[in-house]
Amino acid sequence: MSTMAERSAARKRAKLEQQALDWADDRLGSSKWLRSALDKIFPDHWSFMVGEIAMYCFVILLATGIYLALFYNASSAVVVYHGPYKALDGQSMTEAYASVINISFSVRAGLVMRQAHHWAALIFMAAITFHMGRIFFTGAFRRPREINWIIGVTLLLVSMLEGFSGYSLPDDLLSGSGLRVVFSIIQSIPLIGPWLAFNLWGGAFPGSGAFFERLFLIHEFLFPLLLAGLLGGHLAILWHQKHTDFAGPGKTEHNIVGSRLWPQYTIKSTALLTFVAAVIFGLGGLVQINPIWVFGPYEAARSSAGTQPDWYVGWLDGAMRLWPHWEFRSFGHEIANPFFPGILLPGIVFTFIYAWPWLDKRLYADYGEHNLLDRPRDKPLRTALGVAALFFFVDLTLASATDVIGNGLQISFERLIEILQYGSFIGPIVGGLVAYRVCILLQGGKVHPIQRPVGGIITRDARGAYHTLGADHGGNGHGGNGHGGNGHDGNGHDGNGHDGNGHDGHGEDEPLERVAVGHGDPGGGNGASAALGGDGLGSPGTFGTGTLGEATSGGGGDPAPAE
Amino acid sequence: MTAATDQGKRRRRTLLGPGALVGAAMVVFAVLVWTGSAPAQTKPVSTGPVDIQAGQILYNGHCASCHGIGGVGSKGPELLNVGPAAVDFFLSTGRMPLASPNLEPQPHTPYFNPAQIADIVAYINALDVEHGTPGPGILEVTPACTNETSDCPTLSEGDQLFLLNCAQCHDASGAGGMLSHGYVVPSLRQATETQIAEAIRVGPRPMPNFGPGQLTNQQVSAIADYMYNLSHTRDPGGLGIANFGPVPEGFVGVIFGLGVLLLVARLIGNRG
Amino acid sequence: MAENPMVEDRTAEGPVAETGTAAEQLPRVFTGTHDNLDGADGHTPWPDDVPAGQDDTWYPLRDDPWKARRMEYIIAAFWGITAVCGIGLMIVYWTGGQAQYEGALLLLAFASLGTGLVLWARYLLPGHDITASRGHHVSDPEERAAIVESLSRGTEAILSRRGFLVKKVLVPVGGIFGIAALWPLASLGTRPGDALYHTKWYPGARLVTEDGNALHVDDVMVDGLLTVFPEGYIDDASSGAVVLNIGGAPIQARRGQADFEVVSGANGIVAFSKICTHAGCAVSLFNVLTMQLICPCHQSTFNILQDCSPVFGPASRPLPQLPLLVDAEGYLIARSDFIEPVGPGFWNRSGD
Repeated sequence: MSTMAERSAARKRAKLEQQALDWADDRLGSSKWLRSALDKIFPDHWSFMVGEIAMYCFVILLATGIYLALFYNASSAVVVYHGPYKALDGQSMTEAYASVINISFSVRAGLVMRQAHHWAALIFMAAITFHMGRIFFTGAFRRPREINWIIGVTLLLVSMLEGFSGYSLPDDLLSGSGLRVVFSIIQSIPLIGPWLAFNLWGGAFPGSGAFFERLFLIHEFLFPLLLAGLLGGHLAILWHQKHTDFAGPGKTEHNIVGSRLWPQYTIKSTALLTFVAAVIFGLGGLVQINPIWVFGPYEAARSSAGTQPDWYVGWLDGAMRLWPHWEFRSFGHEIANPFFPGILLPGIVFTFIYAWPWLDKRLYADYGEHNLLDRPRDKPLRTALGVAALFFFVDLTLASATDVIGNGLQISFERLIEILQYGSFIGPIVGGLVAYRVCILLQGGKVHPIQRPVGGIITRDARGAYHTLGADHGGNGHGGNGHGGNGHDGNGHDGNGHDGNGHDGHGEDEPLERVAVGHGDPGGGNGASAALGGDGLGSPGTFGTGTLGEATSGGGGDPAPAE
Repeated sequence: MTAATDQGKRRRRTLLGPGALVGAAMVVFAVLVWTGSAPAQTKPVSTGPVDIQAGQILYNGHCASCHGIGGVGSKGPELLNVGPAAVDFFLSTGRMPLASPNLEPQPHTPYFNPAQIADIVAYINALDVEHGTPGPGILEVTPACTNETSDCPTLSEGDQLFLLNCAQCHDASGAGGMLSHGYVVPSLRQATETQIAEAIRVGPRPMPNFGPGQLTNQQVSAIADYMYNLSHTRDPGGLGIANFGPVPEGFVGVIFGLGVLLLVARLIGNRG
Repeated sequence: MAENPMVEDRTAEGPVAETGTAAEQLPRVFTGTHDNLDGADGHTPWPDDVPAGQDDTWYPLRDDPWKARRMEYIIAAFWGITAVCGIGLMIVYWTGGQAQYEGALLLLAFASLGTGLVLWARYLLPGHDITASRGHHVSDPEERAAIVESLSRGTEAILSRRGFLVKKVLVPVGGIFGIAALWPLASLGTRPGDALYHTKWYPGARLVTEDGNALHVDDVMVDGLLTVFPEGYIDDASSGAVVLNIGGAPIQARRGQADFEVVSGANGIVAFSKICTHAGCAVSLFNVLTMQLICPCHQSTFNILQDCSPVFGPASRPLPQLPLLVDAEGYLIARSDFIEPVGPGFWNRSGD
């Protein structure tokens, strides 16, 4: 319904666009790649956006970090503070600490930038952890995405170190205590510990005058470079392999359903960036974080209650508190206590995490390729192990807050530590068992919304009466945007050649069966359970009533022939 | 390091006892007049017979059952050498009277009003003086510099002393903490300057005490003033979220921060 | 049953069992290669996977211009809020800045920008729910064979004569040169030497407070504590100590350390290293009722009257005790340095 003026303007625009793209193609040969990029499909499930949330947190960290780096002074030289914050007036402190106080009180918008930077780091780690959990519980790490899992876990590790080095830069009492603990952990490494600790710090603790320059270099240059490179690789592989998706009507192992990159996904993703910025900067101005002026500059003889690392390092600090006081001494040598929770434990944990895709393959004897995701209930064992791990990490993280929790709940820290020590293995066992049972329960339960068909299934009971099951127009799956089927309201013709009920002409069960085994990758129990109608389309035998066209296969869940 | 060291190292001899307290205060006063800050003195306690009498009546009615007639102690400790600061502290923070001697004194709404407290303080002080062993007096905490633009060495000195001597139990922000065996370290953020100063001198167990040989009156006053200032100044960064550091910050960041963004993702993306 | 050659069906009888668990217990093993994942020719995706004739230009309000225009105005209103917040931010900045206003305005600005963008994408922009083929992200069998040719062209030549040059020459040379290249990293720090074995405490060192005032034997009250340093080394990181007055309470010291305490009248003065023997934080929480020193970092608890031995928490060695004396003028002095290394453990730490 455009007017002639609008049409002529559109023609002019198209001509300009053609000229611009030709210019680029003459030099880069870019048209083919660019077209495939613009047409690229991205599945729309909300849980797929969490990795993006992490990425945008990283973007904001870079932006606010550059701003802070312009004002931070990584020097250990001692200065006397004279500035707006009266309680520090006249005190000696390192230039590093003084510069961060400056940012907080003397630089306009400095405090918001600083706090936003720190809040962004907390949310960044939370998003990475949630994203990793989503990948784990849906089996997205399976072939061909093992490399991306490796890159992702490395991103997690480097981000943790990046965060730790970042909040240690201000040289305040809280982070300085953390540095002291890490020094002691490195010192406890057998044979090379003291040498390595002295090497990294440039001498005995608190290190040489160059220590903060070193830390700053790592935090501002080395790790961000590494993170950017790894993130680039992570995205490139994802781009090339295409994103996974949950099973559902119209989805198979060989197609991908979602939004076009241009303009739909671009705009939505930009919107996500703005919301991430909104939350981060909102917190940055409205909720105080890391008030280093209260902690004061670090001094080895000072310490404070409530000395905890940032939450994502909490599991290590909790492990330090929970680990029994064992040390091993003989023949003039000793392996000091911090070595076990500080080096050995994270080493074992990360080895497991890195190796998981291959452990999973063995666990399910499934070496096949998967583009469709599991639901957690489809893999009870994996889900149970993941829940057990979660309980373990939550237990350890809580353990890092024993004095704060004890103060709040009026419980002695001796009792709390004891509870959490037992909880560190009882919790995972119980949590894993419960998760396993819940998965089994959910598998036997009613149809999952993702796979609920749009439209009705007609069954016939023993007496010959007809019943309609699950008639649910405009259901939650494909039609989540408020329209059914492939993008139109559930009642009308949708131009895709589909009937008015939103069926896509193939029958709802067929995609599931194809998912299951049709294309040669059974994916362990997934296909079977899906095809069998434990969560599919009702009890076996209902298909035989012939309402669903050629896709029915009679008897519950016989895999459709692969053609 | 602190303003005091600008004067060079001074060696002071201090002796316990009331004379020493006054003597120390005089020396400190002389020094501080030099630097322009206000002196730290103890508040005078009423010696009027009416107040003492009223205090005795209140004492006999509410305290003697545990602390004995005349403060000699029975189920509870004797009060003959505690001093006005202790009595004022325990009563004004509501830790006393205690329902049973087996209970742990906890901060509470005060049972007595300030006038009654003053009377009881007067009575116990009279007993102490009679016994010959008056304990720490109630320190007059001088407010830190009110002039916003000038330097404030007192506040800064209080900050440094607090961080070295108090923060490990009470948290750098004064929010409190935990000792062994379930003893909760209370928050200082609702305390008055006087109560903080009293606690430092008295050392209400399980807290250690800090005598004049460890912290001068001026130093105690500086600490009390600093903490009071900190607790009654708006947090520059926004909501203080319990002032407990990374623990509440982690909760807010993970549960609220990520939670809101997950909600946003659910609104932007598909649910199915 | 499927005649899929890829799938080795391990079930005894036809279809697999009903529940997910059982299905998991009888996994199907994928034994094939990529080649016949797809259709018969192994290259093209199933035509049925991609519905024909999808409308790529559709968006929800395309056929409703009135609603579309209304939506445009709503979006414009949201973006107007963004603009207003932007002006507000400039004003706040210009008048000196205030963190809470800045935060609130940034929150509102970004949130309304984002809301407008989401409404725009959802209702007015096309590209919803399109199905496309995943295509093939792996190469053709011919290419896979060809690359082996290209690679082996090099590897065969490089590893000729049983790889003499590479294995017997280049690797050792690389190792040697690599060590030489990394050697300068040692300059990053000093060697520990005996730095971990000594503090700055020396015989006759007066105990001084952070202010520099020497401590007289009567200065610390019973049940009191204070942080002290050796005179001349205030705030030295390894030398911080806590001095306590335990009154008349009997202390159970280790063999040879009984005389580290100074008893003077009703005072019993002891001093311990402030550096926790677990991970190095400053230990100075003092529970007077239980006579314990506690470290705030990991809750290591030390029993003062029992040689400051750890009774709870991850610390496994007592806090080293400083041997004390009183000098002629009544000031507390150290008889010598600590008789063992202070702080956390390390490989060569001999002694207890």
